[in-house]
Amino acid sequence: MAEEFEPKIVAFLCKWCSSAGSDLAGVSRMEYPSNVIPITVMCSGSVSPLYIFSAFNKGADGVLVSGCHPGDCHYIKGNFYARRRIALVKKLLEYVGLEPERFQMSWVSAAEGVKYTQVIKDFVKELKPLGPQKKLRRTQ
Amino acid sequence: MVNLEELKKEASQILKEGKVKYIIGFQRSSNGLLPVPAFIKDPEDADKLVWDPACVYNLTLFLRDEKRKKEKEKEPDERPVGIIVKGCDSRAINVLLQEEFIKREDVYVLGISCENTGVLDEKKLAKKLKGKKAKRVEFGAKDDFVITTEDGQVKIAAQEVLAERCLECKAHFPVIYDVLIGEKTKRNVENPFKSLEKTESLPPEERWKFWKEQIEKCIRCYACRSVCPMCYCDECVADTINFVVTPENFVYHFVRAIHLAGRCIDCGECERVCPLDIPVRFLNKKLEKEAKELFDYEAGFDPEKPSLVSSFKDEDPEDFIR
Repeated sequence: MAEEFEPKIVAFLCKWCSSAGSDLAGVSRMEYPSNVIPITVMCSGSVSPLYIFSAFNKGADGVLVSGCHPGDCHYIKGNFYARRRIALVKKLLEYVGLEPERFQMSWVSAAEGVKYTQVIKDFVKELKPLGPQKKLRRTQ
Repeated sequence: MVNLEELKKEASQILKEGKVKYIIGFQRSSNGLLPVPAFIKDPEDADKLVWDPACVYNLTLFLRDEKRKKEKEKEPDERPVGIIVKGCDSRAINVLLQEEFIKREDVYVLGISCENTGVLDEKKLAKKLKGKKAKRVEFGAKDDFVITTEDGQVKIAAQEVLAERCLECKAHFPVIYDVLIGEKTKRNVENPFKSLEKTESLPPEERWKFWKEQIEKCIRCYACRSVCPMCYCDECVADTINFVVTPENFVYHFVRAIHLAGRCIDCGECERVCPLDIPVRFLNKKLEKEAKELFDYEAGFDPEKPSLVSSFKDEDPEDFIR
């Protein structure tokens, strides 16, 4: 029997909230799928759209950008900029025909270990029926 | 009607007075329909200036070169550069001002209103003439173009041969100018994003097929980047991903579109210069539409306003965020 498809998710987590949230999930020994490759960035606002395109290009099946809740940003307004930019990136990717489920954004605070595990669980569940992302993946 | 003599007089006047270093405009080329950019220093050469529906170029591109040149000069001439702009080009100036790439005193803007028409789409005209070669296109009296071919003159309604972007243009008169030639006429555009409908209404898989076919063709000549007045970075991030394979092509076109979000003024030059006829303008247009719908932002109308991605509102949509 063929092995079940396990999606590869690249998650850009902001250092101050989401990364700490994922840490909390870890140290509290909460269980969640191991499909995530976390990349800590200083702020969700520092995630360049190129990072996202590049992740898809290098074989990610899904990309998650996660930051602090609005108003909680360590840099006051970084996540507001992120919200605008990510909305545009999402629309662009959908316009060329990439499945909208493959690119997600979430707000996860440092105290929300449970929410983090839930976000990942849902994401993996949505990606599984889609199969591997081949559209933007480089072949070489 | 735009009076060309008025433009020539104005141009030679400001050159005589020494108000400007030189004037960037259009002049006849030795070959064919499209004029070429002209750089006029001598007041007597102002007579060479032309204005017709084939003046498709966005001349604000040369402000970029001018700025680079000026930076290298030891004792630069501080006078402004005169530049002839259409409605769309004037919005490009506004965006450059907004980003503080140029200063207002660096340019002397000679604005020309497109009035009820606009510029020509060469491909549409070629189709219309069925193989006959057009030598000259002029504005007619009643929103039409007078086209001179080898076998004489024909009149064609402007609507039929206008560039797609002109049919969707929101402001076909300059929004910033020192001198305005022609009238500010009001034109109703029912749907400024009409050309997008065809691709947007496709189901996602069809849309992917369409875009894959288009982007596959890209040979990464970077003509779209070179011709864009907004692409003024000294180094381009796309140069780090220059393999000519489809996924990398996608990354390039995505990056280009995102970098132009809220900056693209839809001059359509990128699409015109594409040697492989990739509808690159659609990607920019799509983001222009989203900027309008999601954030109520339009590029190039107010140089005082903060730009699209360097500002935010508390009520920006976040229904897509978990």
